[in-house]
Amino acid sequence: MWNDFFGLLKKDFRLMLSSKFFLLALGSLVLYSCYINFVYVKLDQEIYPVYLYDPQDTQSVTSEYVTKVESREALEAAIADRYSVGIVLSAGNPELYLLSSGLETTDHYRMLFGEAVLNGTVDGQAEVIGVNNKEVKNRREITAEFLFFELSAVGFLGLASMLFKEKQMGVIRVHGILPICRPMFIFSKLLLLLISDLLFTVLLTNINLGLLYALEVLPAVLLQAGILSLIMALAGFLCAVCLPDFKQFSLFYLVLAVFVTTPVFLAGQTGIVWEWIIYHPMYHLFTAMKSAYFSMPTTSVLYYLFCFGSIILLFILACQTFNREIAREG
Amino acid sequence: MNSLKYQLRSIRRDKMCILTFLLPVVAGIAINLLFGVSFQSISETSFGVIQSEATDDTVAWLQQNGIVTEYETLDALRSAVNDPSTQMIGVIQVDDTIQTFISGDELEVNRVIADTLPQIYENQREPLPVEQTLIHMKTGNEGLKSLLIAITLVTAMFMGCTFNAMNIISEKEDGIKFINQVLPMTTRSYVVQKILLGFVGGTASTIVTASICMRIELVQVLPFLLIILLSAYISALSGLFIGTFSNGLMIGIVYIKIIMILFLAPPIFFYLIVPDNAIVFWLSYILPSSATFYGIMDLFNRQSAKLWPALIALLLHAVLWSIVYKLVQMRSDEV
Repeated sequence: MWNDFFGLLKKDFRLMLSSKFFLLALGSLVLYSCYINFVYVKLDQEIYPVYLYDPQDTQSVTSEYVTKVESREALEAAIADRYSVGIVLSAGNPELYLLSSGLETTDHYRMLFGEAVLNGTVDGQAEVIGVNNKEVKNRREITAEFLFFELSAVGFLGLASMLFKEKQMGVIRVHGILPICRPMFIFSKLLLLLISDLLFTVLLTNINLGLLYALEVLPAVLLQAGILSLIMALAGFLCAVCLPDFKQFSLFYLVLAVFVTTPVFLAGQTGIVWEWIIYHPMYHLFTAMKSAYFSMPTTSVLYYLFCFGSIILLFILACQTFNREIAREG
Repeated sequence: MNSLKYQLRSIRRDKMCILTFLLPVVAGIAINLLFGVSFQSISETSFGVIQSEATDDTVAWLQQNGIVTEYETLDALRSAVNDPSTQMIGVIQVDDTIQTFISGDELEVNRVIADTLPQIYENQREPLPVEQTLIHMKTGNEGLKSLLIAITLVTAMFMGCTFNAMNIISEKEDGIKFINQVLPMTTRSYVVQKILLGFVGGTASTIVTASICMRIELVQVLPFLLIILLSAYISALSGLFIGTFSNGLMIGIVYIKIIMILFLAPPIFFYLIVPDNAIVFWLSYILPSSATFYGIMDLFNRQSAKLWPALIALLLHAVLWSIVYKLVQMRSDEV
C-alpha cells in the first residue's frame, strides 16, 4: 500500500518536473519579488505641490511645501498637472490659481491647503494609532494578494494540466484495470501540489516581508495557504475530469480569473463597499489570507468549518467523478 | 486575402479566441452600464467621525473636502481607520477644534492632510483676503471611469496576441507545422498570415470596445487609429514570439498570462504614481503598452503632450521587435 503510494508520488513528481511546473513557480516568484521590492514598496502619492510666483519678493514664505518660480508662464506650466496649487503675489490680494482636478471636494481642499501654506499654518501632527508604517503595510498587502492569485491559479491550472497530460497518455484508462486505491491517485497529486504551494508561500513571504515579520505571520499564513491550495486543486481536478480537453478548460479558467478573482481584488484593495460581496466564497478566503498577513488571523469557527466541509465535499465529488470517468474510459 | 479567410475560419472554431474577442467588449458594456457613484469615491479623501460627537458644522465642512462616514463609537471609527485597505482619516471634535488620527500606513498626501487639518479647520473662522481662481478644463476625463476604459482598451489591443499564439500552438500540436513545411508556402507568407490574424483580431476587438464606451472628437480619430494599429501590430508580433517559444498549450497560456500582467500592471502604476518628468517614467516606455496607455489617457484629457512620444515609442517598438523576430527566425532556420 505505502509502496504503491510512494510510486504514485514519484510518478507525479516526475510529471510536474517535465511540465516545467517548478520552473514556472520559480519564475513567478522572481517576477513577483522584483515587482514588490523595486516598484510596489516605493509607490506613494505626494501632497499637492505649491508653486509661488512672487515678482517683488514681498513675502518670505519658507514652507517645505513651497517651490518658487520665476515667471507666470513657469507657474502655469507647473500647475498644468491639475494636481499642484499655484499662488500669485503680483498685485493686490494674493491669488490662488489652480486647475480643477475634476473632483469638487479635492479642489476645495487644494485651495484651503494653498491658503494655509501661504499663511504658514501647516504645522501639527496627527495621532498615529496603527502599528504598520506605509512600507510594511504595502509589503504585507501586496504579498497577500500575489499569493492569493498565484495559489488560486497554480492549484487550479497545475493539477489540471497534469491530469490532461495523463489523459492524453492514457494513464486513466490504465488505472481502470490496476489494483490501485483510486482516492490515492487524487491524494498523491494533492499532496505534491500542497507541498509545493506551501514552499512557495514560505519563500515568497520570507523574501518580501523579511525574516522577522515572516516568522511572525507564517503559521497563520501557511494554514490559509493550505486551505486555498487544497480547495483550488480539488476544483481544478473536478473541472479537468469533467471537461474534455485542455482548451475548454483554459477557457473556463479565464472566466474564473476574470469574474471570480477581480471583484475580490477590488473589494479587498480599495475599500469599495459592495453588499453582495459577502456571498462570494473567494472573498472570505481572500480576507482570511489578508488578515493572516496583518497578524490578525481569522478566528471565526464557522469559516473553518465551511472550509474543511468544502474540502471534504470536493474530495468526495472528485473521487466519484473520477470513478465515473474511469468507468466510461474503461 | 483568401488565406486570411482560412485563418479566420480556423480560429472561429476556437472558443478561447472568441471569448478573448468578446471579453473586452463585455467589459466595455459593463463599465458603461454599471458605473455607479461608488467608484468616484476612491480618489476622494475620506474622513471618519463619531456620529454623536461631531457637530453639524464640522460634518458639513468635512463634506466640502471629502467623503465623510459616520460611526457609532470610537472603537468602530478606530478600526475603520486602522483597516489597511482604507486611507481614512479619523476626526474627533474637541470643543471648537478638531483632532485627527491616522493608522500610519497612509500615502503621503493623506498623512499631510491629517497633520494639517486641525489648523486649516481653525483658519476658516477668520478667512484672509485671497482671490481664488479655479479653472475648469474641458476634458473627457471622468476620473476612474476613463482609467477603466483605457485599461479595457489596452487589454483589447494586447489580447490580439492570444489569437495567433493559440492558433500557432494548436497547429503545432496537431502537426500542421510539418504539413506546412512540405506545402508550397514560404515561411514569409506564413508569418504574414499569422501576424494579420492577431492584428485583425486585436484591432476589431478594440474598435468595437471603443465605439461602445469612448467618445472622441473628430481630430482625435487619426492619432487614435494610429495607436490602435501600431499596438495591435506589436501585440500580434508578441503572439508570434509566444507561438515560437512555447511547445505546449499550457506553457503558451502561462506566457500569455505573464505578458498580459507585464503589459497591464506597470503602465497603470506609472501613470498614477510616478511624476511624468521622472527618469523612471521615461523608462516605462520600454513596455509598448505604457506608450499605448499614456496615449489613450492623453486623448481622454484632450491633450497631446504625450501623444507623439507615445506614437514614436510604439513605432520604435514595432520596428525593433520585427527585426528581433526576423533574427530569431533566421537562427532557427539555420538550426
